[in-house]
Amino acid sequence: MKTAIKVKCSKGSLIVIRDFVNKWLTERAITGVLANQIVLAIDEACANSIIHQHQCDGKSNIEIQMSLEAQTVHVEIKDTGNAFPITRYKPRAINDIIRKRNKGGMGIYLIRNIMDEIEIEQKADHFIYKFAKHINGQAL
Amino acid sequence: MEIIEKQQNGYYTLTPVGDLDANSSLEMDACINGLLQKDIVNLHIDCSQLKYISSAGLGVFISFIDEIEQKGGKIIFSHLTESVFDVFELLGLNQIVTIVTNGEEVSPLFSS
Repeated sequence: MKTAIKVKCSKGSLIVIRDFVNKWLTERAITGVLANQIVLAIDEACANSIIHQHQCDGKSNIEIQMSLEAQTVHVEIKDTGNAFPITRYKPRAINDIIRKRNKGGMGIYLIRNIMDEIEIEQKADHFIYKFAKHINGQAL
Repeated sequence: MEIIEKQQNGYYTLTPVGDLDANSSLEMDACINGLLQKDIVNLHIDCSQLKYISSAGLGVFISFIDEIEQKGGKIIFSHLTESVFDVFELLGLNQIVTIVTNGEEVSPLFSS
């Protein structure tokens, strides 16, 4: 059973990542809103990397690895360069985003709202986002 | 993603089909921008065929809310799936925009 995927840094890869994560979750009977939230958090982190870290440079890659342990879904997103400081990001109020007519600024907020644990492991030439989501008996 | 556009009596219905993510949000952005350029400011977003929405997809709608209101228009969402509604809820957007469950509720809201 496939537990990892490596994709090119293009926006078109986002649907490939979502399909992979959805399939992985379905195989473990994690479905519905909970599954969508996990997919969404991973999609937001990968979109951030692909668009802002790599400027959609198809020569770069990111790698997503999934595992399930003790009723917790663990996600690792491996990327090159320097990590975006997800854990230190200060969320903005939705009314402020509306008033300023912004299109962005909500992805990191969603990741932090959805995931129970967020960690960044920074290495010399790459970093890993480590997310964990407790699923309370919903998996096989 | 495909966007089905339908002119109604006093408003415009947009039906996104598939996933509205960082890749496809530009199409929705161009579509709404084009309608506002033509002074079409009453928009109904029919989410019955929307399978997935990310912050980039929602960001398109969010970025036009102020302009639509300034121009005296409305944006109304209908037929949200449980997962799509959950994304609205996670961002608190369900408290700010009008969301209806039934398509029949849409037309009277644009008349009021």
